Order: sequence, then C-alpha cells, then structure tokens
Amino acid sequence: MPETPTPAPEEQDPVTSNSYSVIYLVASVLLILTLFWALYDEVYGLRPWKGYQKEFVSRYLAHLKKLKPQEKGAEEEIKKTEGYQELDRAYKSAELEAAPRVKEIDRQVGLIDDRATALTDTFQTRRSEVSAKIYEIEHASARSKVSLEKDLEGIKKEAPSIELPLLDGSGKREKVSYTFEQLEKEFDRLKGMKADLLSQRLETLKQASDLRKKRDQYLEDRMIGLTEQQVNSLISKMEDFKVEIKQINVPEYGIVDRCESCHVGIREPLVLEAKDMGGEKAFTSHPDNELLKIHDPDRFGCTPCHNGNGRATISAERGHGQFEHWLWPMYATKNAESGCVQCHLSDIVLDHADTLNYGREMYWERGCMGCHRYEGYDKEPEQLLAVNQTLRSLEGQKKEDQKQITALEKESENAATNEEARRLLAKAQEIPMKISLLDAQMEQLDMQSKSLLREQKKIGPNLKDVRLKLKKEWIPVWLEQPTAFRPTTKMPNFRLSQEQREAIAAFVWQSGTGTAPPAQPAGDSQSGKELFETRGCLACHSIGEGSDKTGGTFAANLSRVGEKASYDYLVRWVHNPRERTLPYCPYEKKDITAADYAKHGLPYVFDPDHSKCPNDGHELQVQQTTVMPSLRLSWKEAQDIASYLVTQRRPNASYPAAPFMDDPGLKAKGEQYVKFYGCASCHEIAGLEEEGRIGTELTKEGSKPIDNFDFALQTRKARNESWYTAKGFIEHKLQQPEVYDTGMVKAPLEKLRMPNPHLDDQQRSAITTFLIGSVDSSWPKEIFYNPSGQGKDIQEGWWIVRKYNCMGCHQVRLGQRSVLMDLPRYQNPDWREQLPPRLVGEGARVNPQWLEQFLANPALSMTETDRNGVRPYLKARMPTFFFSPDEIRKLVRFFMALSTQAEPYIPQKLEALSPQETQMARELFTSKAAPCLKCHATGELTHDKSATAPNFLLARDRLKPNWTGRWIADPAVISPGTSMPSNLFKVQEGRYVFSGPLPDIFKGYDKDQIALLVRYMFELTPEEQRQLLSRR
Amino acid sequence: MTKIKVVSFLIVSVLIMAMFVSGCAKKSEPSEETAAPAQKAPTAIDQATVGTITGKISYSGAKPTPKVIHMDTEPACVSSNSGPVYTQDLEVNSNNTLKDVFVSVSGGVDNYTFTVPTTPATLDQRGCTYHPHVLGVMAGQALQVLNSDNTTHNIHPIPKENPEWNTSMPPKAQPLDKKFNRPETMIPVKCNVHPWMKAYIGVVKNPFFSVTGDDGSFEIKGLPPGDYTVSAWQEKLGTQTMKVTVGPKESKTVDFSFKGE
Repeated sequence: MPETPTPAPEEQDPVTSNSYSVIYLVASVLLILTLFWALYDEVYGLRPWKGYQKEFVSRYLAHLKKLKPQEKGAEEEIKKTEGYQELDRAYKSAELEAAPRVKEIDRQVGLIDDRATALTDTFQTRRSEVSAKIYEIEHASARSKVSLEKDLEGIKKEAPSIELPLLDGSGKREKVSYTFEQLEKEFDRLKGMKADLLSQRLETLKQASDLRKKRDQYLEDRMIGLTEQQVNSLISKMEDFKVEIKQINVPEYGIVDRCESCHVGIREPLVLEAKDMGGEKAFTSHPDNELLKIHDPDRFGCTPCHNGNGRATISAERGHGQFEHWLWPMYATKNAESGCVQCHLSDIVLDHADTLNYGREMYWERGCMGCHRYEGYDKEPEQLLAVNQTLRSLEGQKKEDQKQITALEKESENAATNEEARRLLAKAQEIPMKISLLDAQMEQLDMQSKSLLREQKKIGPNLKDVRLKLKKEWIPVWLEQPTAFRPTTKMPNFRLSQEQREAIAAFVWQSGTGTAPPAQPAGDSQSGKELFETRGCLACHSIGEGSDKTGGTFAANLSRVGEKASYDYLVRWVHNPRERTLPYCPYEKKDITAADYAKHGLPYVFDPDHSKCPNDGHELQVQQTTVMPSLRLSWKEAQDIASYLVTQRRPNASYPAAPFMDDPGLKAKGEQYVKFYGCASCHEIAGLEEEGRIGTELTKEGSKPIDNFDFALQTRKARNESWYTAKGFIEHKLQQPEVYDTGMVKAPLEKLRMPNPHLDDQQRSAITTFLIGSVDSSWPKEIFYNPSGQGKDIQEGWWIVRKYNCMGCHQVRLGQRSVLMDLPRYQNPDWREQLPPRLVGEGARVNPQWLEQFLANPALSMTETDRNGVRPYLKARMPTFFFSPDEIRKLVRFFMALSTQAEPYIPQKLEALSPQETQMARELFTSKAAPCLKCHATGELTHDKSATAPNFLLARDRLKPNWTGRWIADPAVISPGTSMPSNLFKVQEGRYVFSGPLPDIFKGYDKDQIALLVRYMFELTPEEQRQLLSRR
Repeated sequence: MTKIKVVSFLIVSVLIMAMFVSGCAKKSEPSEETAAPAQKAPTAIDQATVGTITGKISYSGAKPTPKVIHMDTEPACVSSNSGPVYTQDLEVNSNNTLKDVFVSVSGGVDNYTFTVPTTPATLDQRGCTYHPHVLGVMAGQALQVLNSDNTTHNIHPIPKENPEWNTSMPPKAQPLDKKFNRPETMIPVKCNVHPWMKAYIGVVKNPFFSVTGDDGSFEIKGLPPGDYTVSAWQEKLGTQTMKVTVGPKESKTVDFSFKGE
C-alpha cells in the first residue's frame, strides 16, 4: 500500500475552523440588550411622566372613591337641615299643586298629537303632490303652463275623506273631507294649539322649577367640599384620562411649560395634599388656589414664577433646572415667593406672599437699605437731590431770563424802525410772564422739597445728640457688641478692634452738637408704667427680656434704657420725639444755630411751620429724622413715662471710665473709620450728612451670574456642600458676613465690612427670598404688575403704612393682626374694647376730606391736643405723625382705593327730615329699647366718663351715610367683636324696622327706619344733642 | 450548537424582559384608607360602679368688703333692685367658703361620649345682673338668654374658641336661643350698656360639673371609676387643679383652698 502522504497540515482558516459562536452570542446579546434598552428608553426612560400620570390616575381615583361617601354624608347632613327641608317642601308642594293642571295639559297634548298623527300621512302626501306640480309649472314652457296650472287647481280641490280622532277625548273618530287648503289649515291649527299648551305647561311648572333651583343652590352654597355629583364627574374624567404630554403654550411670551405632565393634580378643583395621594408630593394640588386664579396658568405658565426648565421632560432634575448648565434653577419651596419680585417690583405688601413681605420689611427695618441701594427704598434723599438740582437750574434760567429783559429793552431803544422796537418790547414784556410760570414751578418744587425733607428718615438715632442723651462710658461698650446689651437691636455687630472702637467712640462723642435740654422735675414712675403700657408705646417698642419680653419689634426694646439715657433728654423725647436740637440746612450743609437767626434779626423758631433757613431761605430739616410720632402727651405724662423708663436698668450695671473719648487726637482716625463702615447710612452724624451708600446695589442681585459672587476660598466647599448658588451665597453672607474672608490674607481695612445683622433663620430666609428674586426679568414687561389708578394708590399707600407701622395698632388688611391685639393686657374682655379701631373698610366708612384733616391733626383740635379726636375714651393714643402733605394724600387715596371708593368723593344727598320724622328719630334715639346715648360720647364730661363710642356730632363730617346704615344694621360684620350690638333692627317687608318696641309715633310709618336714624344723625346739631340728653 | 444558541437567546431575552418588568413595576400602592370616625354613640356607664367626688372650696385671707355697684345712670336698674347690689367677683360665704366656683373634671371620662341634655340652660338678665353669675353647660347644649328687665341689654359673650356674638335685647324681649359647640372654660359674658354686668360660662364636654353655692360645697355624682383631674375656677383667683382616683362605688373628697390677696 503506497503510503499516502499525510497531507501537510493545512493552514487553518480562521473563518471556517474557529468557532465565533461565543463572540456572536455576546454580540447579539449586546445588540438585543441595546435594542431593549432603546425600546425601554423610548417608552419609559425618556418619558418618566408616563409612569407619573398612570400612578396619578390610580391614586387620585382611590382618593376620590374614598371621598365620595364622605361628601355624600356631608350632602345628606345638609339635606337634613331645616333650611333645606323647607325649600324642598316648598318645591314639592308647588310641584304637587301644579300636577293636576300639568296632567290635563299633557292629556290634551296627547289628543292633539293623535289627531295630528292621523292627519300627517294624508297631509304630507298631498303636500308633496302639490310641490311636484308647482315644480313642473316652474320648469314648463309657457304653452304647457296653462294646462298644468289647471291640474294644480284640480289637485288642490280634491278632498279625499279621512278619519280623524276627535279632540274631546271620547275616543270617537270623525270622517272628514278636506281640500289641500283645509288640510293645511287644520295642521297649523293643531300645531298652534300644541305650542300654546306647552307654553302653558312651562308657566304652570315655573314656580316649582324655580323652587327646585333655589333648593339646589342652597345645597351648593353650603357644601364645603364637592357635591357627590362633582366627585362623580371627576371620577369619570379620570377614567377617560389620556396619558400624554400636558403642555402650556403661550406663544406671545415664549412660554412652553410641560410641568403638568408630572404634576397632574396641580389644577384639580379640590385640595390634594401628599397624604391624600399616598405620600407623593408631585401629585398635590397647588397650595394656593387663589393665587392661580389671579395668575391663570394658561396665560402665565409655571416657570415665570417658579423658574426651572419647563420644556424638559426626561427627569425631575432636568425639569426643575437643578442642573449645572441651567441658569434659572427652580426656587426652593421656602423661597418660592422669590418668583413674585420680578413683576411685583413696587409692592412692599403683597397678598399671598408673607415670606416675601417679611423679607422686604426686614430689608427696611434692619437698615440694609442704608448701605445697599435698592430701587424704591429710601428714595427721599435721591428725590431731594433731583428736586434741588432742578430748583438750581430753574434759578439759573430765571437769572438768564431777567438778563434777557434788560438786553431786549436796550435793543429796542436802538432799534432801526418803530416796528422793530415794538416787536422787541413785546418780546421783553412776555419774559416776566415766563418768569412767573417758572416761579410757580419753583414754588411746587419748594413744597416738594419741604415734603421730602419731612419724609426723609433714618433707621438709627441722630448721633448729633449723643452728648445730650447718652452716658458717655456706655458708648464704647455698646460698640463692642450691640447685641450683648440689647439682643434684638437693629444695630448690627461690627467686627471692630479696640483701637477702632475707641477712635469711633471719640469721634462720635466729639462731633456731638447742641445744648443740654432743660432740667425736668421727676415724674411718677408707677403712673409712667401704666401710661407706657396703655398709650400704645408697646405697638412699636418692647420691654422686658427673654420670656418676659412683650411688645412690638418695630422699635427698640427698652429694657435697659435706664443704663444709657439721660432723664431730661428722655422727657423731651417722649413729649415730642421730632423736636430737634438744631435745624439742619441741606443747602449750606450745616446745622443752623441761634446765632444765624439773630444775625438776620429773626426769632429762633423752627418747626414744620417755620422751616426756612434764615441765611438763604431754603428749606431746613426741622425735625428729627425718626419715624417715632408725637403722642401729644402733657409734660407731666412725659415725665412719668421717662421716670418709668429710667428705672429700666440692671441694678449692678457699671461702665468703665473712657477718658480717651475726649482725646482730640482720635477724632480724625475715628472719622475715617466711621466713613469706612458707613455709620452715616443709618445715623445722622455732624459733617457726614451727605455721605453716600457704601455697599453694592441689590436691585438686580438675583440676576448676577454665579461667577460674579465672590465665594473666595469657600468655592470648593460651597460646591461640595451644594450651596454654590446665589441663594447659598446670600444665606451664608447673612449668617456670617466675614465667611468669605476665611483663609484670606488681608489688611484690616481690606476685610469685608459688612457687619453681622444677627438674623434668625426666618428673617434670613425671608431676606434671601427677596434678594434672589430681585432679578432683571427676561419676561415681557407687559405681564409685570404696573397698576394705574387705584391699584397704584394701594401700592404707594402700603409704603407709608409700613413706614410708620400703622399695623402695630390697627388691622389694615384681612388676616393681619395688630401687635396690640396679641398683648396679654388686651386679652381681657374689658381691655379688648380699648383696642384701636380696625381699618379694614376704612375708605367706605369715612369721608376722605375728613380723613385728610384727621391724619394731619388726630386731636381734631388746635387747643385741646392731649386727647383722641374721635375716640376720647381710648387709652391708646392716635399719634401725630407730622405726615407731609404728600403722605397724607397717598394715605387717603390708599384707604379709598382699598375700599374701591369713587374719587373724588361727592357726598350722597340725604332727604331732609320732616318735622314729624325729626320727632320720631328723637323718640327712638332716647327710647328705652335703643339706648344709643348710653355708650356714645356727647361732649358732656360726666356722661363721657363712661362713654365707649364716638360722638354722633362727628358723623356728618366724618362718615358716609351708606356705611353708617350698614353699620347700624350689623356692626359685627364690619368690626367683629365690637361693643355695638347686632340685631337692633330687623328686615320686614324689604325695609329695616326696629327690633324692640317702637314709640307710638311710628304708627303708619312705612319707610326704612335705619335710613331715618342716619338722616337724623347727619342733621344732628350740638343744640339738638343737648335736647336729647335732657329728654333722656 | 444552533439549539444552544436559540435557547441561550431565549434565556437572555426572558431575563431581560424580566428585568424590565421588575424595573417597571409600580411603586407601592397607596395605603388603605382608614374609615372616617363616625359620630360616636353615647357610651353606657355601668351605674353599679359609679362613684362621687364631693368637696368644699375654702377661702383664707382677708375677707374682701363687697363693693356696691352704682347703677345710678340707669334708673330702671335701680328700681328693679330692692337694695344695693354688690360685685360678685369674689363672694365669700359666712363659713369662709367661696361662692360661684366652677368645678369640672377631666381624665377618667375623656373617652366617653354623652348625650347633650335636651333642657336648655338659662341665663337671665334680672335687676341688671346676670343670674346665675357662673353657669356651666355641656358643649352643644341649648342656652336660653332672658331679659326680665325693663331696659335694653346687649348680651356679649367673648369666647376664644367659639364664635362670638353680641345681640341687643330690648325690655322683655323674646328669649334668645344660642349654644356653644366647643368646650371652653370660661367664656366671659358682658353687657356693653351696663359695664358692671359680668357672667362666666363654662362649656364642658361631659355632664360632670358643678358651681358652688352659699355653702361653698360641690358634689359630682355618677363618675365611672378612673383617674381624674378636678379643676376649680374662681373669677379673680384663677384655677386650681387636683388629681384624684375614684374607685368603683367610691366617694372621694377633694377640698380646695384659695388664698385671698
């Protein structure tokens, strides 16, 4: 056997010899995985909202089904009430009453229908025959028309007999032969009869159906939640729910918001909380439904208010914009009101935004605006500057004009022709008229500047008075850490070295001016305590430390005031805090002394009525720049209160001697520090009155790119702890302003200057909310809130209400409580009646002209000022705020606007009383059943001791007649808790009649009896009131 | 080989499917609702085991001299009283006990519910004072206000946890029907026309309360066994409380002692 050569080992073909199955397997598995992944992503991964929507539907349905029996129960409960039952009975009896007639009508209609049905067939056949013939005639040639018309006549005359049921209901039928015309007539007759009957039916049932509507309305008005029917409709809406992108598209503003694709329940009509939706927060309804009504999401979208990326749907993070490359991440829940700021730029008080309101209030009250300009805050100095500039340029123009007169006159003397001379003279004569116009303009500006000077306020006290007011040694201790002395002070804690403190104290002490106020006799501190607690001081000031603290936060806590203040100064201050030691002339930039007045032979008198500078006639600052008003106290009362205040001290308080404060060598250094730290932003300091602000403007702070916030060496930490945001920067800065100096090597005066404002968490969060919302908005300006008319009046008024803390004593808006309302003293029912009046609806109550006078002079008297003009029985005193005319105008307009009163006010004309009516009103006024004069003051001293309501004589000038009528009808509606009882009158036959026994003279009187009293009150004279008193 | 491939393919697919299915599984179902509590029926108390708390409210300290109320401004008030009328804010009985102290209990009966008496409590305005000066009612119990005087009063309760009202009542007016639905001790009542007129209403959620009379004693009967806090309220001297355990059929004495100023 030949050897077969063993075939040389073939070079292995990798394609054929190697198994790639494993690789293929892996590859195909990967491919399949990728396919599924792609499919998954397509269906779910990139569309998480699908899952959200399905989940929402199931949870919401469960919730609705749970709700149904509850709502049903509530519905049953209402149905059981007497009110509902009565309406139900009325409806049912009306229905029952109508039933026989309805039945009769229905029977007749049935008979008519029977007869019409029997007729219809024949009538329709005949009608189509006639129509067919007419058609033929219309389309026939002239020749054949004649014969066709004959045919038509024939058809119309045919009268086949038909059997019709009779209308009498006997069931009998009659045989009739009707021509086409007769048929038509009969058919129309039946139709007419039927229509008549049906409208009769409706008429008969009208009462019943009206009553049913009334009954159903009664139920709807009383159901707090949804009715069962409403729940059912929601359930069926959910059953038909379509899973899809839910999108708001507002093309004109470029808003495309898909937020509702996950937040499906946001606009549901019932309140959905997380606990209702199985704990899922995304499914809640919007927490403030009212807000959504004002800002319809279909017009405003979601992101304009909340920020975030409205278009993103692939994840919550992307949608919320919590992503590095999205510049407007959604505001955190506690800063949600930041979104309001961009459009509501000028609202210091905004409904639905309590946090923001608090932030704006703090920005003001804590004096942030002293260093950091913010558009709208503390605008008086800027306006004053502008007014003064205009004044100066007008003065210049006036001088120019005067020069021109002389020039023109001269020119006319040398004119070539008489005509030319006349022309030039006429021109010269016109210039004085122009000057007179300028004078009028300057007069207005002068008044404006006077107003502005009066409106200009500083947060801190006037440091020109330190030598008169303060214990010298107290100052350096205070400067070291104000909160150590008074934890709630508005003065922030500066980080001052001992050297700085000493220099500042020395400068402040040495720059003090003025002569010591006159010495005061000691007062009675016990009576002073009572006065302090009842005159209204506590609406702004607090007293006591720690848990003993009571009173408002608007002004200083006075617990240790006795350790620092001079008694004589305090008495003068309490008597009238606006009284200034020396007037200041902003034009000359110096304090004006008695010598200046003497130099011009003028009496040394300066007050709001004498405010011209003796040197140059410009407006002076004649008042202290404090918002503290005058309570119009007597000197004795002021002494008592001051005596009480000086007892407010720690028994062992002592302050080390501070001789350095008199060292003139420290003054220059001290001034440098005072300027550096911006002390003059909050305090008036001699020589530094015109110092500018030292901080950054914050009006658009929220828009600043993150890189522009100087996190310094905190950047890494901020990133790691995820507070590398505007919010994080501001919060940390407010908590510890020097945090961004940490680790930096800086010279003392290079360090961050911002002092620590020692805010609590709530205050810090509120200010942050305000500042991060302060952005240069990218939304179109037309969606901003820039009201005109009364909306603007309200905006402007709030600034003044806030500025003077009117809400310390008064309720101005719904839901707001005054400080006094919550003080322990006023919890006692007898003291509660001593609360100042609520001002909700004040515009509807008072005549604006009267209000204007009252605000200027709350005593309503030039001589008797130690009292309240309207409510002399109140211990709390409506103070004199020395409002500028402009502020009064704004306040009056504010109250009128809040009550949507037409302006200007034209008093309602009241019909004069007949002698008979006058007599009736007198008798009612003094009847046993209407003891009006028991409580209302009359001006008679013994009587007024027990009075608890205003004098009727004020009514005519002060009140509006319509309001007065409403007040008498039900005072508790206007002022809950008022001493004035309700139920004095009841409605009878559409008019008010007295509830008690009526004097005989009222027999046969059929007019409204409240209107009678109102007319009487508005005619009341002092003479008439005296008569009433003697009758009683 | 192909079989293996097919099988492995299937396995892998199934696995992947399973992964997705479990991945897509819904989040936990919302928890089952708890039924809303229905209006509870009155709890039956076993009358065989009930006990009693009795006591006395004694007073120590200087006896206040009663002050005369000057009603001169209202002749109708003066004429409706035979003699002078004295303030009632601190009335000390001859046996040195206090009148008009409102005694109520809490604790042992808090989980019980009671039917509200169908008879109304009455507050009468007579001789320009309220009768009684201190009144106890059950929450939801009808309160009837009368005006027996020949003058107009306005009745003005000033509650904190109940709605406030202030109604004018002319002479001999129709009785006024009102009620307070929420427990609250004490609700001050006043007349704004006659500022001396004061009354106090204690609204409680059980029938176990008492107002002391001329002997300063009180008795609260029918208490089921349990631990109780007894509160005694006096208009000027405030509230005192004491704890006591009442066993079955037991009668306990709880005496309070108020100290005058």
